[in-house]
Amino acid sequence: MRPVDSLPLRVRLTIWYVGVLAAMLLLFVAGTSFVLYFQLFHQLTRFAVQDVETVEGLLSFQPDGRLTLNEDYHNHAQSRYVLERLLEVITPEGGVIYKNERLGGNFLDKAPFTGEGVNGYSERSSRLQDGQRIVLVSRRHNLQGRSVIIRLGYEQAAIWSRIQEFLTASGTALPVLLGLAGFFGYQLSRRSLSPLQDMANRAERITAERLNERLPIANPNDELGHLATSFNTLLNRLEQSFDRLRRFTADASHELRTPLAAIRSVGEVGLQNSRTASGYQETIGSMLEEVTRLTNLVEALLTVSRADEGRIELSVSQFSPLDLTREVVGLVGVLAEERHQKVSVSGEESVRVRGDRLLLRQALINVLQNAVKYSPDGGKVSVVVGSAASGRATVTVSDSGPGIPLEHRSKVFDRFYRVDQARTRQTGGAGLGLAIADWAVQAQGGQIRVEDSDHGAKFVIELPVE
Amino acid sequence: MRILVIEDEPKLAKAVKEGLEADDYSVSVAHSGEDGFYQLCQGRFDLAILDVMLPGRDGFEILKSVRQMGHLMPILLLTARDAVEDRVRGLDSGADDYLVKPFAFPELQARVRALLRRGATETFAPSRLGDLEIDIARRSVNRGGRRIDLTAKEFEILLYLFRHKGRVVSREMLVRDVWKEPGRHTSLDNVIDVHVNHLRKKLDDNYSRKLLHTVRGLGFVLREEET
Repeated sequence: MRPVDSLPLRVRLTIWYVGVLAAMLLLFVAGTSFVLYFQLFHQLTRFAVQDVETVEGLLSFQPDGRLTLNEDYHNHAQSRYVLERLLEVITPEGGVIYKNERLGGNFLDKAPFTGEGVNGYSERSSRLQDGQRIVLVSRRHNLQGRSVIIRLGYEQAAIWSRIQEFLTASGTALPVLLGLAGFFGYQLSRRSLSPLQDMANRAERITAERLNERLPIANPNDELGHLATSFNTLLNRLEQSFDRLRRFTADASHELRTPLAAIRSVGEVGLQNSRTASGYQETIGSMLEEVTRLTNLVEALLTVSRADEGRIELSVSQFSPLDLTREVVGLVGVLAEERHQKVSVSGEESVRVRGDRLLLRQALINVLQNAVKYSPDGGKVSVVVGSAASGRATVTVSDSGPGIPLEHRSKVFDRFYRVDQARTRQTGGAGLGLAIADWAVQAQGGQIRVEDSDHGAKFVIELPVE
Repeated sequence: MRILVIEDEPKLAKAVKEGLEADDYSVSVAHSGEDGFYQLCQGRFDLAILDVMLPGRDGFEILKSVRQMGHLMPILLLTARDAVEDRVRGLDSGADDYLVKPFAFPELQARVRALLRRGATETFAPSRLGDLEIDIARRSVNRGGRRIDLTAKEFEILLYLFRHKGRVVSREMLVRDVWKEPGRHTSLDNVIDVHVNHLRKKLDDNYSRKLLHTVRGLGFVLREEET
């Protein structure tokens, strides 16, 4: 982790903000200086061009052949020293025929290049012998029948000093500006992040015991609103699963307590009076029956909890659900026979599914046992293997029992849920059969549900095909 | 036959001891891992029943050490966890069999008998019990000279009960050995009861001497009994 990453978010935001602003301002200053330089350079060149024409009118050859510059138009003779022009007149061959005083021992350029100043003004940047940068303009003129090249230069120092002034001014203003920006940026980010801090504080107060609290949502459309919304959704789910867990624990304790209470009272009553040997056997046998119930319940609970942990590994294979159905009917069919119920199996021979055969068998056993249990004597149970519109395989188990009222349908797969408390008490079973079936089917990517039926209950198991 | 029970829960240890002594075994009990290990190495036992969760040294450790020292007596593991890894670990450590708590006592008796019998060739007892005759090859059953028609399942149950005659057979044993049901998730007790009732009807209904008895809370037993 870089050291920056350990800083609070608002500081990091400010650093970024100021950094980007500084980079942009520097770019701006550089660009402006560049433009300024070109403008000033251009201005100076224009100035030099005009001055060439002025100078041209003032130059004249003396009868002795010397070239002179008439500067008598100044009211004060000293005024000519104010002019910053550097002037040089040469013949096209390169011979210097005039130099002004300001230029002195320097010369503006080397020998003229071909076509220098012939068609218009040759403008360029150059250097004097002492390294001074100058703007240089040359123009070829006919002066009293003689061809000369007038070269006129201005020192660029003026331009550079202007740019320097600009840079100095910017350099002074920039830190102040950045300081202000940083300050306000920090305030802004602190202010916009403060709801986050609020949310964190509030979230810390939400514990397992106070899961019903929610984060406030100021504006559901901004980022923080989104965050709070998804956090609240998470809390909803968490609360639900905590509720389920609590209910499960309560239900499980209740279910465990029932056989325990029976064992206890049967034992206590059994010991109150002395009995015959067969009387004691009766008592102990009755207690053992409750122990068996308890054991089965604990087994089922273990299965359920292992399913919750996802610790049961599937052994996936391909098989025919119709064969499996026949097998299961062969196993539990005797229960139906006992009550003169008719169990019919039909369906598509060719349907094959992919899943854990053992788990599915488990689910089918549970569903079928239920169907037999709730159908009346002489009733009918039918199992049909087919395919759904989605292409998935279906196993439909219909019985001729009382059916499942609409309001119970979503809950029949819940653990310990019973449609009719009193009824199941006498038929046994802890209300885990369908919960286990539900898990077993879902574990292999299938689905089990209750569907509408004219009479009785109709369970549909949908399974992925191979 | 001498059996060592290594089990820290005193009630369970006492019950197992008394139960096995009733079957004419000589039983010693060790209440801790150390004691159990010491006795296993000292005394000569024909069989050991070893609890996995023990204070001090756990069952797996004892099992390993005992096997490393070259003791070959059969060892039956008792475990409260029926996770597959635990069973595999137990069998890998050199256990001969395992039983998950809570177990039915007839089941323990059956396992002990099986382990002690292991190696010795099973003697074929005559397939008769009182006036009941079972012809295993032909899968036919006669009682008092009258043929009894049984379904395949009923025959298997009868055969199983016959092989354990005089002893209680629990529903768990039937589920595992007759139905060969792999999972423990589903209770098939009601299915078993129906089949056994059918069998009982065919076997005993027309005879005064009943052979197939239900032992309440335990299971079933096939024996001659004057009632």
